[in-house]
Amino acid sequence: MAQAQQPQQDENERKLVLTDKGEAEEGTATDEVVIAISAGFNTMKDETLAGVKLANVIREMMAGIEEEGLTARVVRFTDSLDLGVIGLRGAKLSGSGISIGIQTRGTTLIHQEDLVPLSNLELFPQAPLIDLETYRAIGKNAALYAKGENPEPVPVANDPMARPRYQALAALWHIKEMQLKDEDAAPMEQEVSFE
Amino acid sequence: MAYIAGVDIGNSSTEVALLRTSDDGTHEFVASALYRTTGLKGTKKNVPGVVNALTRAAEQVGIDPGDIDRVLLNEAAPVIGDVAMETITETVITESTMIGHDPSTPGGVGLGTGTSVEITADMADHDPADPVIFLVPDSVDFADAAARINEWHENGYDVEGAIVQRDDAVLIHNRIDVEIPILDEVSDLDKIPRGQPTAVEVAPQATGKTIDELSNPYGIATVFDLSAEETQKIIPVARALVGNKSAVVIKTPRGDVEERTIPAGNLHIVSGRGSTTEVPVDQGAEVIMEAVMNNWPVSDVRGESGSNIGGMLNRARDSMAEVTGQPMDSIEIRDIMAVDTLIPQAVQGSVAGEHSMESAVALAAMVKTQQLPMRQIADGIEAELGTTVVIQGVEANMAVLGSLTTPGTDVPIAILDMGGGSTDAAYMDVDKEIDSIHLSGAGDMVTMLIDSELGLDDRDVAEAVKKYPSAKVQTLFSIREEDGTVDFLDEPVDPSLFGRTVLLEDDGEMRPVPVRKSPEEIRRVRRRAKRNVFVTNAERALNLITPTESIRQIPFVVMVGRSSLDFEIPEMISDALAEYGIVCGRANVRGEMGPRNAVATGLVLSHIGGGQYLDFELPAELSTSLERTPTKTD
Repeated sequence: MAQAQQPQQDENERKLVLTDKGEAEEGTATDEVVIAISAGFNTMKDETLAGVKLANVIREMMAGIEEEGLTARVVRFTDSLDLGVIGLRGAKLSGSGISIGIQTRGTTLIHQEDLVPLSNLELFPQAPLIDLETYRAIGKNAALYAKGENPEPVPVANDPMARPRYQALAALWHIKEMQLKDEDAAPMEQEVSFE
Repeated sequence: MAYIAGVDIGNSSTEVALLRTSDDGTHEFVASALYRTTGLKGTKKNVPGVVNALTRAAEQVGIDPGDIDRVLLNEAAPVIGDVAMETITETVITESTMIGHDPSTPGGVGLGTGTSVEITADMADHDPADPVIFLVPDSVDFADAAARINEWHENGYDVEGAIVQRDDAVLIHNRIDVEIPILDEVSDLDKIPRGQPTAVEVAPQATGKTIDELSNPYGIATVFDLSAEETQKIIPVARALVGNKSAVVIKTPRGDVEERTIPAGNLHIVSGRGSTTEVPVDQGAEVIMEAVMNNWPVSDVRGESGSNIGGMLNRARDSMAEVTGQPMDSIEIRDIMAVDTLIPQAVQGSVAGEHSMESAVALAAMVKTQQLPMRQIADGIEAELGTTVVIQGVEANMAVLGSLTTPGTDVPIAILDMGGGSTDAAYMDVDKEIDSIHLSGAGDMVTMLIDSELGLDDRDVAEAVKKYPSAKVQTLFSIREEDGTVDFLDEPVDPSLFGRTVLLEDDGEMRPVPVRKSPEEIRRVRRRAKRNVFVTNAERALNLITPTESIRQIPFVVMVGRSSLDFEIPEMISDALAEYGIVCGRANVRGEMGPRNAVATGLVLSHIGGGQYLDFELPAELSTSLERTPTKTD
């Protein structure tokens, strides 16, 4: 095999740039999935609790959606930090009624517009255990739900040590992210680019 | 006043019919009860189940089970059934193609031919005139792969297609400047030979079309410039790719696809006349069934040791020997039923974890012995309740008597008792003479066929697929049933069921099916399994049971047993028998019980001589109890 060339963009150096494009509106295209992100996503921290770069997280989720032939929209919610609420409101903005909700620390869920906040399609509660492959699978499954297909739920890893090891850190991150909360701010459509 | 209870111990449930005889001599059925059979049918372990069922029936009329004056037992047919499956073909590939690999999202469209080249290869090593097919391993990011393809394209190379390890085909296609077919999810990409002529084809999207060049032997011959001799060799490859949305074919010196037959041993069928016929299992169900019917009545069947089927036949013999305490060699297999089936199997030598549907033969066997130790059960019940227990009659005869209480029936009549392990039939002619027969193949065989054809690998789920119709949850408030009708729900379904294929259970619950199959597919597999087993067996049984061996001689056929409670089996059989001009339907014992309780009712009627429930005199052999001496117990 020939010597592998240097990839043009090193995975660890890829930078995510999110720019406000104005207030997010309710989508009408049935082939879109909204990725609802929390207040401090990429501004407070650029990686999850597990040290996975948010740039790659967003890129993999969008790739999972794109591979299935759908498009992704990213919307930032600043008025709430409750993942269930962010996810559900994202779903209501999504033309397909399906959204992925994600907090800065990496906790993720797949939501649907007809549900209530605490009841969702798939929940990935242990942020430190979610790797990029899982984020790709989450994107893919969200797209499959939007297409009306019959996806098998993404396997959820469980580590009983994740809680003692990360709970204090997660609480700190949450408190810090709470300071970015602005109850009057409307959800903002994000322009996504990678540098 | 006197109470008489008829008790039918079946394979899965024990049924009771309770009759009250008033002082003026009139009879009336006052209660019926059902309880799970404890232990294997015909053994002493049945006693707790019988006592429990009797207690339930007694409770309904407010008496103590000890107040029942007489308990009537049936002599259960001394048969048990078992099932097994033998795969008889396998597909072996030697690096020429990917059979059965049909990724859900290939990229691009069209047919591309070129030399297989690693995506990371140095451009300088290649002749720009030579078209290339790129191989993209999972270590290369989709954006980088797309950039490389564009780079080669800009430098004048002819990029014809790509084969990708991860699920990245659409992503790469969206980022390149050329329109090429891309196939993805090839898990063992490193097994694909480098530097070989390779063809990739992707069918156009949203046209409903499948590939048409690589599934055509002459298409492959055109692409690779094959000789007539070589084209003959490529036929299995082309055949295996029919119906795919995307495909890859690699021209290798040794490349080949082969469908092999796995030797599965022989069945030795011993006929009642003493002659033995040898049938190779790999010849398929039709040949086996023909041999069985030619040698009818069969006195024994033996399988090859070491094969699944041989093991199953011995296992059935073994468990029957244990129940009856008789030596193994005195136990005989009196019937086998074979059904051809297709099961998904991993392809040997595959590069993308492909599966291919391989032929298999499913076999059900029925073991028969002389007699079950019924007296032991009777003694056990007597000891528990302190009432007289009588073995009143043979199961098949009692089932006929009970079934005759179905409104609208008359003799001559045939009953089909479709259970889990065996399909039994009995025939009563105008002289009230009864003949009965036991055939292998029933509900358990259907479960096995569903389990393997859908690749469930879970008997419990397969049993549920057999019993309940399926549907697809479309939204939280609507489901689409297998026939296409959409139903709206008052209550939202559980979010975990969103988008899934579910089974609609009797209690309104929905149970997800853990495989990616549409309700239509599930319905097709389920109905085919039921038709192959039950309709085939119904026709076989009715032909064998009539004195003239002709199904047309029977005016009335009544279906009883657990499988006649199924939501579609009775109508399938009715439908199949309608062409013979037969009245065939599900029993309605005593006009109220449906297909349940036939034997228990028959036992009571046999004891009281019919009462007002039967409009004819019972012949003596049907109304007198059986004298069974207690088998020796230690």
